[in-house]
Amino acid sequence: MKNSIKVERAKKNITQAELAKLAKVSRQTINAMELGKYVPSTVLSLRLAQIFEVEISEIFTLEDSDWD
Amino acid sequence: MKLNYLFPNKFKKIGWFILIPSAILALVILIFEYQPSFLDFKLPAIFISELFGDTKLFGIVTNNILNDIVGILIIISSLLVAFSKEESEDEYISKIRLESLVWAVYFNYGILLVSFLIIYDISFLWVMLFNMFTILIFFIVRFNWQISKLKKSANYEE
Repeated sequence: MKNSIKVERAKKNITQAELAKLAKVSRQTINAMELGKYVPSTVLSLRLAQIFEVEISEIFTLEDSDWD
Repeated sequence: MKLNYLFPNKFKKIGWFILIPSAILALVILIFEYQPSFLDFKLPAIFISELFGDTKLFGIVTNNILNDIVGILIIISSLLVAFSKEESEDEYISKIRLESLVWAVYFNYGILLVSFLIIYDISFLWVMLFNMFTILIFFIVRFNWQISKLKKSANYEE
């Protein structure tokens, strides 16, 4: 799954640490998501969408490999 | 919000504080076979199997309780170290926790399987002795290693 957390974060002009605080997770988690190493839970995804004020589908995109 | 069977973060420090001296004490006791007589007690037991004697249910045995005390301290303290929350215990940390636990169980039983094949008789008692604690120890090592790796890798930004 691809995500545009880094892009959304840049639009909002906030750091990983600030986003982590807003989403109530550790900065390592934000980092791992941006690097595509971790797929967040539905709750965390919804939190991110609310923080960025966008639809959840604007942040996350399914890839072909997600169907395997 | 959700039940996760973990202790609060502060118990991790308390756990280390008990675990390290207990583990050192345990090794000293093992090496020098230290059994101070003031810790000899007559105790009730629910199963007794004497080396060259009978096997019976319920009775009184004489036992040195130092190894029991140290064993209990090690188990409780390593449970605290293993299963106290991290400072920022979030869903990613939980995932790493689970993976480390699975890894530790495989590793522990892998070693036990190999031990079955190359260690026999009374010598196997040593394997059983260590195996009581190793599953937790392997988990603690693996989990903390993964967490420190994660902290290092997340040190960069943008």
